[in-house]
Amino acid sequence: MSTPILIVDRVTKRFSGHTAVDGLSLTVPAGVIYGLLGPNGAGKSTTIRMIMNIYIPDGGTVRLFGDGAHGGDQSSRIGYLPEERGLYPKMRVLDVLLFLAEMKGMDRRAARAKALSWLDRLGLHDWRLRKVNELSKGMQQKVQFISTILHDPDLVVMDEAFSGLDPVNAQTLKDTLFDLRSRGKTILLSTHIMEQAEKICDHVAIIARGKKLVDGSMADIKRTHGGRHVLVGFDGASGDAARIFADRRLVAKHDGSAQYAELELAPDADAQEILKALIGSGARLSRFELAEPSLNKIFIDLVGPEAARAAAQPGSEVARA
Amino acid sequence: MHKIWAVIRREFVERVRQKLFWVMALLGPVFFGAIFLLPTLLMSKSGVKHIAVVDGTTTSLGAVATRKLDSTKVFQAVRVIAGPNVLDSLTARVDQKELDGFLIINDSLVLGKAEYRASNVSSFTAQATLENSLSTLVNRVRLEQEGVDPRVVDRAQVRLALETHKISGGKLTGENAAQSFSLAYFMGIILYMAILLYGINVMSSVLEEKTTRIVEVLVSSLKPFQLMLGKVIGVGAVSLFQFVIWGISGRLIFSQRSRLLSDDLQGTEQVFQIPHVTLATGGVFLAYFMGGFMLYSAMFAAVGAMSSNEQEARQAQQPVSMLLVLSFISMFAMLNDPGSTFAVTLSLVPFTAPIAMPVRWAAGSLPLSEVALSLAILFVSIIIVTWIASRIYRVGILMTGKRPNLKELVRWVRAA
Repeated sequence: MSTPILIVDRVTKRFSGHTAVDGLSLTVPAGVIYGLLGPNGAGKSTTIRMIMNIYIPDGGTVRLFGDGAHGGDQSSRIGYLPEERGLYPKMRVLDVLLFLAEMKGMDRRAARAKALSWLDRLGLHDWRLRKVNELSKGMQQKVQFISTILHDPDLVVMDEAFSGLDPVNAQTLKDTLFDLRSRGKTILLSTHIMEQAEKICDHVAIIARGKKLVDGSMADIKRTHGGRHVLVGFDGASGDAARIFADRRLVAKHDGSAQYAELELAPDADAQEILKALIGSGARLSRFELAEPSLNKIFIDLVGPEAARAAAQPGSEVARA
Repeated sequence: MHKIWAVIRREFVERVRQKLFWVMALLGPVFFGAIFLLPTLLMSKSGVKHIAVVDGTTTSLGAVATRKLDSTKVFQAVRVIAGPNVLDSLTARVDQKELDGFLIINDSLVLGKAEYRASNVSSFTAQATLENSLSTLVNRVRLEQEGVDPRVVDRAQVRLALETHKISGGKLTGENAAQSFSLAYFMGIILYMAILLYGINVMSSVLEEKTTRIVEVLVSSLKPFQLMLGKVIGVGAVSLFQFVIWGISGRLIFSQRSRLLSDDLQGTEQVFQIPHVTLATGGVFLAYFMGGFMLYSAMFAAVGAMSSNEQEARQAQQPVSMLLVLSFISMFAMLNDPGSTFAVTLSLVPFTAPIAMPVRWAAGSLPLSEVALSLAILFVSIIIVTWIASRIYRVGILMTGKRPNLKELVRWVRAA
């Protein structure tokens, strides 16, 4: 693995009596899409703001690009999309992009050429001289995304990357992220939508209540936290499935509906035993598959009890931000 | 530096692009002109009044009075001998607007009694002319009755024309009292309005970045202090640009005033004299405007940063605006006596000095040492206030939720 582009080392942040991030350490290798996953209020945005040098950590350090500097000093090499989106509503689209590029130390002339090519690419060329507040929400999202990557940063940090995107725009974003990765850029994104993360992230860290629960490459995490999983699809009749799934000698955990179930096998159990028992009980199956667990399953297994506790806490992420 | 420049540029360009800026730029001089000219215009608007003099005297006094009134610019008078139904018919003619009014005199005029009936009795010029002409006449008649030589009476009746000239730096200036007053008044109004207007401009700019959350992107790219500095300089540049436009258009209007004012309004120039502004006065004005703007816009920026919406900001800015309003209100007392302890104090206190000092400067001469002291205090205060404001700003722009109370503000200043 190449040298890490970002090291978060035992970072802590407290807000008036409550600890948002508690001794969190992350290592983000260069050239990957890294997912920072966690339930609401886990401390994702606070962590990202510390990486971006918006908040100063109460303890620990953030090291970017292999040195000890914070995001502010390296701002021209980082693109940042905050959780709450916003642009100057009364400015023209092109002017906003030029201004934000200048904030990243870019030259106006160079910024103009790149901005125009990006606007063209995302179908906003005819809107370049319109005011931001004349654009639809989706178009504004695209403009903000352009502003994040216009200065060709080595590290792109996106807080809640996919929130508010329709499927078409989400696909555009995904394609662009893959394109960036293929050019050697690193992307750090936070999300609580596991299906998205599973499809695009190479590495993930799952955090809850300000602490890291697990991190590593997607493949490693699935291997170590997977157990043995079976996906079952029913074709109408489910026979005596409920009783079989409740048998702790065969099934450790199960989750699903009348048509579908995801099972985690008990230690030493044989999947064939379950198949035999199901068919013997009169169930008709459309699917019986030995599989890796979904990221969603791992996530819920890991943070389920934590998430429930976090939700009961008054200090949610929004109130703290 | 490149980034601060970009912030300045954005603030300037976006504001100057707004229609409101140009409306202000063009209407400003018109508006200020109206403030000064309107009262005079309204007063002199009436023009020549046609009146009748109902003469009930047994002497030639009625005829003399009619001639005297007729010779003024204000009246065209016709003598009517008093008799039955005369008053009724005259009243009817006033009603039909054939006459503006009529004066009723009889022998008791010598005792100082006369009556004027008219459709409009609030005209100052008409009333003053009537009173003046009649009392001169009556004085003369009464003195003559006492056996005083009419020539002596004429010589005694010299009207006093008091000329006032302002002494500044041991030299007579071309300014008289009316000019000094109007200049001081004018500068006070402009300073008050400009500092308030552009200070609030800074506040809403801060608030816009906060409510759109764009500030998060900005502070990850440059220091909050740089952002605040760029904003204040940018908005300040807009205000100076506004002044330049006002200056040029004001000069244009002034040079064309004879064409703009109709003939019978030429006289208003005498009523409200337009002072000439010396370089030193211009310098004092600009120095205090810039100082005042820096001081207040730093405070307004902090207010914007600690509020999370327009409503909150409007409430939170009240204490800051009150400081300005206070200086503005005190201006009238200071104009009355620019050398009083009250006025001197206000021109040294940094929060009132930006308006108080230029007003005093224009109204009367001041020792330069006093101006220098006041500027020095202002300068030090700007540094202190900006330091505090930037700390509040730094914490405030990233906060959402409830507005901080005073205790929390103190903690922000300490912790930032």
